[in-house]
Parts: sequence; C-alpha cells; structure tokens
Amino acid sequence: MRTFTIRAAAAALLAVTAACLGGCVAVRAADRGYLADPIMEREDHFAKQTLAQKFFSSREGSIGGASGIGGGCGCAK
Amino acid sequence: MRDRTVRRAALALLPAALVTAASPLFAGDGEMGFTNYYFTDSGANKVVTTSFNLARKLLEQTTLLLDIELDHVTVPPITAVTGASRPQRDKSQPFEKSRGQVILGMEQGIGQNLTVSASFYRSQEVDYISSSAVGTVSIDMFRKNTTLTLRGQYNADKVGKILESGDVFNQNKFVYTGAVDLTQVLSPTTVLDLAYDVVRLKGLLSDPYLQVSVIDDQGGTVLVDELHPDNRTRHAGTARLSQFIPSIRASLIGSYRYYWDTWLVKSSTAELKLNKYITNDLVFGVDYRYYTQTGSWFYQPDYIGTGFTGPLYRTVDYKLTPFSSNNFGLNLSFMLRALGSPGSDFEFLENSSLELTYFRYFNTLDFSADILQFAVKFSI
Repeated sequence: MRTFTIRAAAAALLAVTAACLGGCVAVRAADRGYLADPIMEREDHFAKQTLAQKFFSSREGSIGGASGIGGGCGCAK
Repeated sequence: MRDRTVRRAALALLPAALVTAASPLFAGDGEMGFTNYYFTDSGANKVVTTSFNLARKLLEQTTLLLDIELDHVTVPPITAVTGASRPQRDKSQPFEKSRGQVILGMEQGIGQNLTVSASFYRSQEVDYISSSAVGTVSIDMFRKNTTLTLRGQYNADKVGKILESGDVFNQNKFVYTGAVDLTQVLSPTTVLDLAYDVVRLKGLLSDPYLQVSVIDDQGGTVLVDELHPDNRTRHAGTARLSQFIPSIRASLIGSYRYYWDTWLVKSSTAELKLNKYITNDLVFGVDYRYYTQTGSWFYQPDYIGTGFTGPLYRTVDYKLTPFSSNNFGLNLSFMLRALGSPGSDFEFLENSSLELTYFRYFNTLDFSADILQFAVKFSI
C-alpha cells in the first residue's frame, strides 16, 4: 500500500510539473523547426508497435508503456 | 512445398501489387511506407515480415489509415521435451506458419486543437486470431506546446493450440487497455513525453504449447501444461526526453520506463539514442537499450510435488523469470528530398527516405537475436 502511495504521488508530481510547464513554456510555432526534424522521431499516425517493440514484447515479460496495438505477434517465441 | 513457394512468391510480389493499387492515391497529401524485417535467433527461429502502411488525407481534416503486415515464421524441430512454443505434431519437422494483419482507421480533426481517431485491427494465424478496436483523442493546448492523448483499446483474442490430430483447440483472451500520454515542448529544441498505461487481461494467459516438468511425490517426472492465473493487470510509466543539438546537427533521445503488474513482475528499461546528420541527406543513428526484470510470483526453477500436476500455477515461460538484456542498434537513413524538388516529376520524394536498421539483442538467459530492417517511406 505504501509503495502504491509513493508511486501515485510521483505520478501526480510529474503530471503537475508537466501542467505547470505547459502554462510557463510557450515556444512559438515558427520556432519549432528543430522539433519537426525527422531525426527527432515523432510517432506516426498508427497506434501500433514498431517492429522492434513487437520483438521486445514477445521476448520480455512487460508489455505496455508504449503505443501497442494488437495481439498475435507472428513471432517465434 | 508448392504451397510454400506460392506463399513466398505472393509475399515477394505484395509490395509491387500494393504500389500499383495505391497509385491513384498519389495525387493528394499523405504518406506511404514499406518495411521488410528479418529476424533470426540463437534458437534457430526465423521470422520474415513485410509491412505496408498508408496515411492518406481524404478531406481537409480527415485522414484514412491503412496498415497491412504479413509474417512468415519458421520454428525448428523440437529437440527437448519442454521450452518450445510450437505444436508437438510433426515435431521432427520445422513448424512454419504465416500471419496476416490489417489495421484500418480514420483520423478526424475537429477545429484547431482536437483530433479523434478510431481504428479496427485484425490479426490471423493458424493458431491465434486477434481482433481489436482502438479509440484515441488528442488535444493540443497552450498554443500547441502541450498535447494530451488518451487511448482506449479492447482486444478479443482466440488463443489456439494445434493438437496431434491437426485440429485447433481455441480458448479466449480479452485485453482492456487505457493509456494517457502528455507531450510537452520545453524549448525550441527539447520535447518531454510522459506516458502511463494500464492493461487488464483475462482468459487464457499461458502459452498452450509450453509444458512443465513436475517431480511428483514418488520422485518421478510428469509433463503437464503450463498453468497461469487467468487475470493480470499491467501498469507502465514512461518518460522520454528528446533533445535537438543544432551545433552538431544531431538529436539525443533518452527514455526510462518502469513496469509493474499483479504477477509481481517488475521491470526497468533505459534507452539512449543518438541520431546525427553525416551529410544533408544521410543520418546515422546509434541506440543502446538496457532492460531488467524480476520473475513472477509463481515462477520456480523446479516444481516438486503432485500439487503442480493439479491446480497450482506453474510456468516455464522465460518471460516470467528474472533476467536482463542488452540491445544495440545501428541505423542509416537516406533522405530523398534532394531528388524531389518542388515542381519536378519526383516531387513525391520531397519527404521520402530509405532506412536500414540493425539490432543485436542478447540476454542473461543465453538467448541472442539479430534483426535487420529495411524501410522505404514516401510522401504521396
């Protein structure tokens, strides 16, 4: 129970920090050229796992925490 | 043999067929990509994947999403009594199967700051069928410096087992997912992503092919199917910081993820990636990922006692054992924008790229894998 409380507090702190940053930081659209560069690797339209994520999810015991659609991995486990 | 040849030929021809089918769509805004993926591991398993995706703007704020993926899997003959996730049938022969996956979705912008999307997913292989519906709402705030994305997903899967007779015995698995993702621009060169998701699973959660060797009360050995609890709740939180470094034309992306679940598996994943422009159109990327996890509460190296041939939980799934892994990746991306100057016949190359990626994975369970991926992306 104590562990859960600590985790919940940490999550709340992160959310509040992010919300505060949202109010404080205002980068103009014209100044976001670097952020749109392909090497910044923003996610694409599909809420699906990348092929690398698909590999990890079939080899490791902790799916989640990243976009990940679907079951049936087509993998050799 | 003939069936296999036909299947391979169909797989090889698929990209060409899809390009032909999609060519009338070249006139508008959107993007299209092909990916080929080759996987081989220390257990002699092989997977070849061909993937095609298309995002095509139909109206000013409406985008059609289509993703098709085909896998061909080869699992070697069984040489040990446990540990192979494949049918026992014809166990002296390699087991081969194909899998097809389709995602069809629609993304709709509403006003300047709201986007909603809905997708349907279907995946089918001889011993696994998965159907899924996904809904996403994305809200831009603070002059688009902050984006909040909420995602809900429902999966209904049929987990099959190919029996000695060749019949397939199916059992159900249901998955409910909720996720929240906050993306925050921190500066003209820095973005922070925070994500949390919770996944609830119910139904058959063990591998129907894996068998556990149990030592009974008389000291004999009995092989029985795995038995896992029929429900599990997973949680994961991820923080990711992406930094553009203008002075060296590079990006540095670091992430950390913490995972925990009701089977008492806990894991940490740390990843660092550097992408660097070598020339105006050539990008080199290097990536390192470290992963470590604990075992599930019911994992034991040995199962002793007749109870384990009955209702007591047991597993030989190494994904439920404690281990760590390392992954190194190298990536080369060649941007084709130099060939696609506006107004030329090759304008569609303006936002296009070729990408080659190699991963080397190894873990503390003496397992290793090599993954090679080739991708082509076009703007259409």
